[in-house]
Amino acid sequence: MNILITGAASRLGQAVSEALKGHTLRLMDESPVEAPGDGDTFEGSLLDQDAVWRAVRGMDAVVHTGEPPQDLPQSDTEREKHLLELATRGTHQLFKAGVEAGVKRFVYGGTLDLFRSYPDDVYISELWKPLPEPDMPAMSRYLGEHTAREFARDYMVTVTGLRLGTLVSEEEVAGRAPDLLWLDYRDAAQAFRLALERDASDQVWWTSRYAMYHICADLENPKYLINQARGLGYAPAHNFAANWQDRGTP
Amino acid sequence: MKKVLLLGASGLIAPHIIPALEGDYDLRLADIKDHPEGKPVLNVDVREYGQVREAVEGVDAVMNFTVLRHDDVLSFQVNTIGAWNVMKAVADAGIRKVIHTGPAQTLLAYAHDTDIPVDAPDAPSSDYYFITKHMSNEIVRSFARRHEIHTVCYLFQGLAPRPTEPAEKTSTREFLIIYDDLAVACRQGLELPSVPGFYQAFNLHSHYGPGRYSLEKAERILGYAPQEAWWDWQRRPAG
Repeated sequence: MNILITGAASRLGQAVSEALKGHTLRLMDESPVEAPGDGDTFEGSLLDQDAVWRAVRGMDAVVHTGEPPQDLPQSDTEREKHLLELATRGTHQLFKAGVEAGVKRFVYGGTLDLFRSYPDDVYISELWKPLPEPDMPAMSRYLGEHTAREFARDYMVTVTGLRLGTLVSEEEVAGRAPDLLWLDYRDAAQAFRLALERDASDQVWWTSRYAMYHICADLENPKYLINQARGLGYAPAHNFAANWQDRGTP
Repeated sequence: MKKVLLLGASGLIAPHIIPALEGDYDLRLADIKDHPEGKPVLNVDVREYGQVREAVEGVDAVMNFTVLRHDDVLSFQVNTIGAWNVMKAVADAGIRKVIHTGPAQTLLAYAHDTDIPVDAPDAPSSDYYFITKHMSNEIVRSFARRHEIHTVCYLFQGLAPRPTEPAEKTSTREFLIIYDDLAVACRQGLELPSVPGFYQAFNLHSHYGPGRYSLEKAERILGYAPQEAWWDWQRRPAG
């Protein structure tokens, strides 16, 4: 498949690119990205309509990691405004250009942060109602998720949302107190790879064209269930066993 | 007298309701353009947080009637980022009451349904304008809940002056609201002591006729009802 990856310069973007080797990749970000073995790079902003239209051309799939660019405005207010615009107008523009260009599969990177306000003594599945806090990390991903959903409603395309845990690297958090939301970059990338295999574009019901999966580590005593993602074949390899062991039962 | 900031005071909606409110509220009018009748207006661009934060200082409530539709870039900036800026400023200033407005098209997916419940979830379609307004509702709701800001969101679409002569062979648009009815609803929203769950959206219109979008919730919580039977102006001469 020809696959466009947004936020490709980010750590998640790079992990996803690595997991998608074998496909022809177009790596898009605002800053330079190292060229993939097979494919090309595309420097441009999601807020630049022309750039987005050119970036999606010829693509079979779009992976929208949702990861922000490296260079952001210095002032808090300006940075927040920019992130909000990327998440809302940027995501809309990407999906709009994508469906017009004939892209059939979209994978969207959301966040499990939407469920943080629930107490820790419940099991959270995709059936739970998100409670986004009015802060940018949660709200930006939440609003983008809604945009992705509306495109699945309106067009014969497959849209797969992944609500990701807090991205870390298992090696880098060694010795630290564990967190129920932790997710290793490599496992997140695995989920993107599996989500790309989903093909429901000819399904008459939009509820089949759209799907949402919760993605985090496989814990002995999880708060965030990954049962549905297992159905995609998701099998995380980095489960922070040592962190949980040091701390007793998770 | 309550101090109320009215954002979008020079737009398509607010100038029609200001006369009905200005006697009872200390209105602070704000917009990026001049008021059509020359009322003094504070120059505020809702895309700029600093300007919004300054404008909300010292008021008891904020009414946000800003909206932009003709251009996609500006729609996202005014409708969505603007809503973020307004709610953030309201939260920061400790204001406890907000009236937010959205067009009823955030309910677009139900266009062919009947008996649509009052709290039907937004289904705005992928159209940029409806998405921007849907997102603004989500932003407003999140801030309202987190910061305990009593917030009402009025859903209507299209405004009209009170009818003055009978109209034949015409049926009203289902979300059309008469200026005077909207002014009453704003007054009720401003006076509502508390909003259940800190955020409630209301269908708002002036005609019971088509009967697809219920006013029951607005009646129950706000005490709203069309002031007169406006639809009497559209009676078919029977017999």
